[in-house]
Amino acid sequence: MTTTATLSDPNVATTLAACAAPLLAFAAIFLGARRFARLSAGLSIGAVTVSLAGAVFLLAANWHAEAPQVFSASWLVSDAVRIPVGVLLDPISLLMMTVVAVICFLVQIYSLGYMAGDPGFSRYYGFMSLFAWAMLSLTLSSSLFQLYVFWELVGLSSYLLIGFWYEKFSASQAGKKAFVMTRAGDVAFMLGLFVLLVGAGTLDVTAVNGPAAARMNPSLITLSALLIFGGIVGKSAQFPLLTWLPDAMEGPTPVSALLHSATMVAAGVFLFARLFPFFRQSPAAMGVFLVIGTVSMLLSSTMAMVSRDIKQVWAYSTISQLGFMIMGLAAGSFFAGVFHLTTHAGFKALLFLCSGVVIHALDTNDMFEIARKKGRRLKLAMICMTLAAAALAGIPPLSGFFSKESILAALAALDNPIWLAAALLGVLLTAYYAFRLIFIILFPRPELVQPESGRGHGSGHGAGTAMGSALVVLAAATLALGFAAAPLARFLSGDPAAAHPGPHLPWLPYAGIGLAAGGLLLAWFEFGRPAADQKGFVERVPALAALFANRWYIDVFYARLISRLVDRGLAWLCAKTDQRVIDAGLDAASKHIIRSSGVLSALQSGMIQHRLLVLFAVVVMLGLYFIA
Amino acid sequence: MIVPYSHVLALAGIVFLMGMVCTVTRRNLIMILLGLEIMLNAGALALVGASLRWMSMDGQAMALFIIVVAAAEVSVGLALIVCVYRRTGSVDPNFTETAAPEKPSV
Repeated sequence: MTTTATLSDPNVATTLAACAAPLLAFAAIFLGARRFARLSAGLSIGAVTVSLAGAVFLLAANWHAEAPQVFSASWLVSDAVRIPVGVLLDPISLLMMTVVAVICFLVQIYSLGYMAGDPGFSRYYGFMSLFAWAMLSLTLSSSLFQLYVFWELVGLSSYLLIGFWYEKFSASQAGKKAFVMTRAGDVAFMLGLFVLLVGAGTLDVTAVNGPAAARMNPSLITLSALLIFGGIVGKSAQFPLLTWLPDAMEGPTPVSALLHSATMVAAGVFLFARLFPFFRQSPAAMGVFLVIGTVSMLLSSTMAMVSRDIKQVWAYSTISQLGFMIMGLAAGSFFAGVFHLTTHAGFKALLFLCSGVVIHALDTNDMFEIARKKGRRLKLAMICMTLAAAALAGIPPLSGFFSKESILAALAALDNPIWLAAALLGVLLTAYYAFRLIFIILFPRPELVQPESGRGHGSGHGAGTAMGSALVVLAAATLALGFAAAPLARFLSGDPAAAHPGPHLPWLPYAGIGLAAGGLLLAWFEFGRPAADQKGFVERVPALAALFANRWYIDVFYARLISRLVDRGLAWLCAKTDQRVIDAGLDAASKHIIRSSGVLSALQSGMIQHRLLVLFAVVVMLGLYFIA
Repeated sequence: MIVPYSHVLALAGIVFLMGMVCTVTRRNLIMILLGLEIMLNAGALALVGASLRWMSMDGQAMALFIIVVAAAEVSVGLALIVCVYRRTGSVDPNFTETAAPEKPSV
């Protein structure tokens, strides 16, 4: 099936150049260029431009490619163990590489405006390059071991960027939380890799997806699939490890845009798509994935309904959309999940970048505060944000509608209608919370609006050229990507019909549109219309609102669990061990030493007569011995 | 020889043992020295008996040597004991071992 390429192959050379450029930029920035802010930004953007050009070239060159291409070299050979590194060029990796390169490029351009004047400007661009390198290399990895290495590097660079403003306590805490929680999933991932290595004898992606897994014991497949999915749960912030993502917005907004769209969280879903043929061999595991995707999707939607922080709403929506993708993939439709991943990358980056413009101009994250400061005056940002929110809600003809519709179609093909019902509920909630935010900002209650914003840098400067151009490009992508469904389906699975998996249900798109419109209207009724008191139906039930606002007490649960398990359990055990075993052992040992030395010291009484006695005794004994 | 040699040896052994017990048990340096003397004399007694048994002068010569050595030893030993008594105020052998020596008063 696969063709093996050599280093001189133009595809491989381009890939390596595209991957290496950000790494070189990272090295150059931290080795020398760090003192020159403009040079650092130039290096980083130049590198990501190279990656972008390479990615676009590869995508174009391989648009009609027949078989995946593999280039592989030995990295480490030890006796019978051979660890390869390589590049795997197949539709999913090429598509993901392009998405990553485009988003990285746009975010870096945008950051020129957003981060201008920050004391850590060079450091920011250095980390950005590291992030781009790790994510690009992750998408192209040919073996799961290599993928795991870059997976961890992605985690590291997102830790560095989330905690970028490390002087801020909450930022460094959020960075740590993201790092530790994803690490919890990664442990499971690594164990899954070990199981896979034992069972299939290889970690090569094409082998695992193909012949090697077929030889495996079915229960081993399920076990390793579930463990690897643990890594996906951590990385893509799914239930129960979902609470790190809302906190991760402590980083600069462009970082959130990158984190939530093309890198980090997307890595989890990408891994699912990467190993899709392998996962599909275990229906039991797929059932678990479906449940986890659904639960995360609904939980985070409810959390988004009460949040007042604009970035937090989008963070919850990311979890919910990732849940959608996992539902689509778990329902057996490879295309639906990957297509939603692609369109989501576009509109979620757009949402965050627009929020960045608003936050930058008005200096607040609170949506009511933004409304009060006349956030609607930032015309470009608000238009783009409304557009992206509509795409998020699944309003036609925007990209989100098409991808969500193909996920719904995939779910409709399942026997149990509960999944489709849950997804439709999710559509309703998504439209509701997305437009709740939009209406709150667009239609502030007149008595609350500041008469004249005294701040000079209020609506005046809005988005600069750098920031504005990134918004426009992403908005265009949001508008256009939906119509690329059929060609993408042909590219990804070689079959244009994959865009509409499952039985053809004529009512399904209408149900989707209807529910999205219903959510929108509900949001209009409660937040948009002039007489609205801007209080959601959830907020009328204080207990429910508290439950949603506290993230279903998942964090509280973790805190309790840790305090029980670690503080009371483990620490108690350690303290007891210390007292009973180590201290008591030392005491007992010294006591016995003292006692036995007392016995021994009787021999060394220092009395001359005792010595004499011993001397006589010995001589008598010797005499008896020699005589007898 | 009227007395059998084995009796002489038994007597010498008993005397030696008495000297030994005296040396080991008494808590007085003078008595310890006395014990040593008795042990020496027990040895001399055995030698004299042996010279009678084999009709040889060697044993008696040896006994004379022992008496001389014992006399020298007593004089040196007593001098040492006087010295110890002067320094520590005691003739207890344990006390001389454990007590810290005082500064010479000379």
